[in-house]
Amino acid sequence: MTRAWKYVGAIWLALVVVLLYLPILSVGLASLANTRYMRFPHRNWSIGAYTDALSQHETLVLHLTSLKVALLVTVLSVILATLGAMAFARYDWRGRSAFQKVVVLPIFFPQPVLGLALLLFFSALGFTPTWKTAVFAHMVWVLPIVTLVISIRLFGYDPAQEDAARDLGASRWQVLREVTLPYLSPGLISGGLFAFLLSWSNLPLSIFTTGADTTLPEWLFSRVATNYAPVVSAIAVIATLASVLLGCVVILILRLIDTHGIKGDGDHG
Amino acid sequence: MTRTAEPAQRQTALSLIGLSRHFGTFKALDSISLEIEEGEFFTIVGPSGSGKTTMLRILAGLDQPTQGSLLLRGTDITRMPANQRPTAMVFQSLALFDHRSVGENVEFALKMRGMPKPERREQAFELLDLVHLGRDYYNRAVTQCSGGERQRVALARALASDPEILFFDEPLSALDYRLRKTLEVELRELQRRTGRTFVYITHSLEEAMVMSDRIGIMREGKLVQIGTPAEIYGQPKDRFVARFMGEVNIFEVSDHRLVDFEASVSTVKDGFLIVRPEMLHPVDAEDPGLHFEATIAEVFRLGSRVQLHLETVAGLLVSEQPASCQLKPNDAVRFGFDPDQTHSVPE
Amino acid sequence: MTQQKLGLLFMAPVAAFLLIGFVSPILIVGWYSLMEPRSFDLNTVFTIANYRSAFSDGYGPPFFWSLSFAAVTTLTCLVLAWPTAKLLHRFAGRGAAVITALIAVPIFISESVRLFGMSLFLMPGGGILAGSMRALFDLSIGSVLNTKLAVYLGLVYVHFPFVLFPALLGVALIPQDRIDAARDLGASRWQVLREVELPLALPGLVIGALLTFVLCIGANAEAAILGGQTVTVLTRAVEQRFSYAQDWPMGAALTMLVIAMTAVFVFPALSRLDLNRLIRR
Repeated sequence: MTRAWKYVGAIWLALVVVLLYLPILSVGLASLANTRYMRFPHRNWSIGAYTDALSQHETLVLHLTSLKVALLVTVLSVILATLGAMAFARYDWRGRSAFQKVVVLPIFFPQPVLGLALLLFFSALGFTPTWKTAVFAHMVWVLPIVTLVISIRLFGYDPAQEDAARDLGASRWQVLREVTLPYLSPGLISGGLFAFLLSWSNLPLSIFTTGADTTLPEWLFSRVATNYAPVVSAIAVIATLASVLLGCVVILILRLIDTHGIKGDGDHG
Repeated sequence: MTRTAEPAQRQTALSLIGLSRHFGTFKALDSISLEIEEGEFFTIVGPSGSGKTTMLRILAGLDQPTQGSLLLRGTDITRMPANQRPTAMVFQSLALFDHRSVGENVEFALKMRGMPKPERREQAFELLDLVHLGRDYYNRAVTQCSGGERQRVALARALASDPEILFFDEPLSALDYRLRKTLEVELRELQRRTGRTFVYITHSLEEAMVMSDRIGIMREGKLVQIGTPAEIYGQPKDRFVARFMGEVNIFEVSDHRLVDFEASVSTVKDGFLIVRPEMLHPVDAEDPGLHFEATIAEVFRLGSRVQLHLETVAGLLVSEQPASCQLKPNDAVRFGFDPDQTHSVPE
Repeated sequence: MTQQKLGLLFMAPVAAFLLIGFVSPILIVGWYSLMEPRSFDLNTVFTIANYRSAFSDGYGPPFFWSLSFAAVTTLTCLVLAWPTAKLLHRFAGRGAAVITALIAVPIFISESVRLFGMSLFLMPGGGILAGSMRALFDLSIGSVLNTKLAVYLGLVYVHFPFVLFPALLGVALIPQDRIDAARDLGASRWQVLREVELPLALPGLVIGALLTFVLCIGANAEAAILGGQTVTVLTRAVEQRFSYAQDWPMGAALTMLVIAMTAVFVFPALSRLDLNRLIRR
């Protein structure tokens, strides 16, 4: 590649990133004035919208609803997906390739359609939709993704390690605790992060399956579609920063495992 | 030919009695019977797919035989799970625990027994010294080790459990030639020093010859021949074993006649004559044995020896001579061998 | 042998969950779609009246718009993602890793937030773009907000990362020596692209395109936030059957048609992909 092409390439990539972040940045900019109508550039920059948002009880309720949904989705999906990944990537069995294709189907499925179908399903069974049914709905979509994430890690696993551990005197339980799970842990953590963030930010499934409860994206969507208010921008920024912060912490943990996890017991002979 | 008159002072470490392993209709192991002696270096050689690894996995308790039984010093251990057997294995992939340090890999077996950390570490240090790595390696990441170092870590890890028998599943196959040679010698030395029983499998005849007290040749799930390296090289049981043990010229004998040379050999039984390349050499008229015209087709210098390809009435033959041999391509020379000095096999 | 048993054992929980959470809802929808119009109960008196009205009662425009948006968005995203993926692959290193991560982050930010941001950016008068233009260059510009163009831009914006990452996977499947060999044998840049690169990267591109296409068929937030009232997309039309019209069987019949349409694209593509090869690197 010539020098000129290198510059063109760099500019292209910069443009892609800038365009992707402009709208997100716009929310941040809009939130920095507390006026009835949006009029940029602001005459009076202020963080009034944030103090308003933080003083509203609703802000807390929305975050808590989203949080409990996302946490439950994370825990349940990681447990189920770990088992699923073993069948997906670890064992060689007849029917595996069919299983692999069936598992990814919900990913290739329009989410609003899935949400509607689940809504009909719940009402046919006589369940009133609440945040709990939303947990179930999120899992239908998140579980396949987490299964893939853990499988990617599992594909690099040499099953002979388990034989070696058995051969060296480890019981089945010890094999799981000492060999399999420690090896898988980065996959489990990234899988968990995926599950949390995807559930935290999900709109199309939540809209149909939360009933009277409201998650953050749902609330934002209903406000955005109706009327502009600076407090909406402020809450959008708070919700986004919360998830970005969580992402950063988890990625940091993964880094630490990568560099220091090798020391295991934390013992430096 | 077979070692029926084995000196009795040695104890039997492992007895395989009619071991079979079937996968559906496929017989990966077909009724193997074998006695491995205490403190011997026993190598199983065979082409890939001959059932070597299946056999080793059954000996280690990682797989169960379909039929037959396995005795360790006379005690039946056929159904004993791998983690309770006093044996340890070095795997083909090495199967090191990549998420743990060198030290933690080595002391894994001790940890499983609940040995406290300080003692474990002391033993790990000794083992690291034993395999010529040194205790500096204790905290190193397994992923930062070279091929040879990983090899030694795997060996130390297996030795840590103080096994009565060590199994090796072609652990050297992925290494380069020089490193392999070094480790072969070290392994043999270690076995002599510790006096343990080693059961080693490989597809490399050379590796088997260098290290083993006895060799078992496997083919299609059966043990074809068992013997010392010299016995197997000098007196192969059939053409398969003969070919497997290196370059060889094979001549058919029918009605006491060497078919290819149309010469009679009264002393040789019908079947096939096994003539190793070093038995085939240039001759004078008065030398005993069979003589024939040969044209040198190719000359390959192999360092200490020279390999010659000869065009003869019997087709292309292989001869090996000392490096001092000055023959060149297209030279016409009389070659010969002494049928009485060769070995014949019925099939 | 035991691998077979373990495989079955471990797949069971996930398979059971998907049977309950994915397959049965679709079956229930299928059942509802065969009920009398405007009924709320499931019974065994079946009718295809709903499907008949699906084809006769003017649902054409939503189907048309959703399909065209999906097709055009997929194509646009592919055209944008290919050079981006090639560049990221070419510049491989720390910088490229950071850019890749930056492109990935928006996937995890809610569509509500991102589309809201886009509407703030495009808003006429006091919007971020129009406001900045006026303040910086004293320029008054119009706005595309509340047009079909805005919906299209929103769709491309939201789905670009979904094509980029599979495309990156695809680009990683092209060994550099194949490109070198083709160049050496006299292929032009264009020929290399057509004869070597695209065919080798195809699995990744197919996944990305499929994912985007399917997601776009179902997308409705873009039209709701950016499109104003200019266009009614498919899932919006379906949703209206359920909510305002209170005609569940009709809504269910339309849902089944969307599912069938999706299946037509997903099944053939998915059955040809070797997932093992793609995921294992």
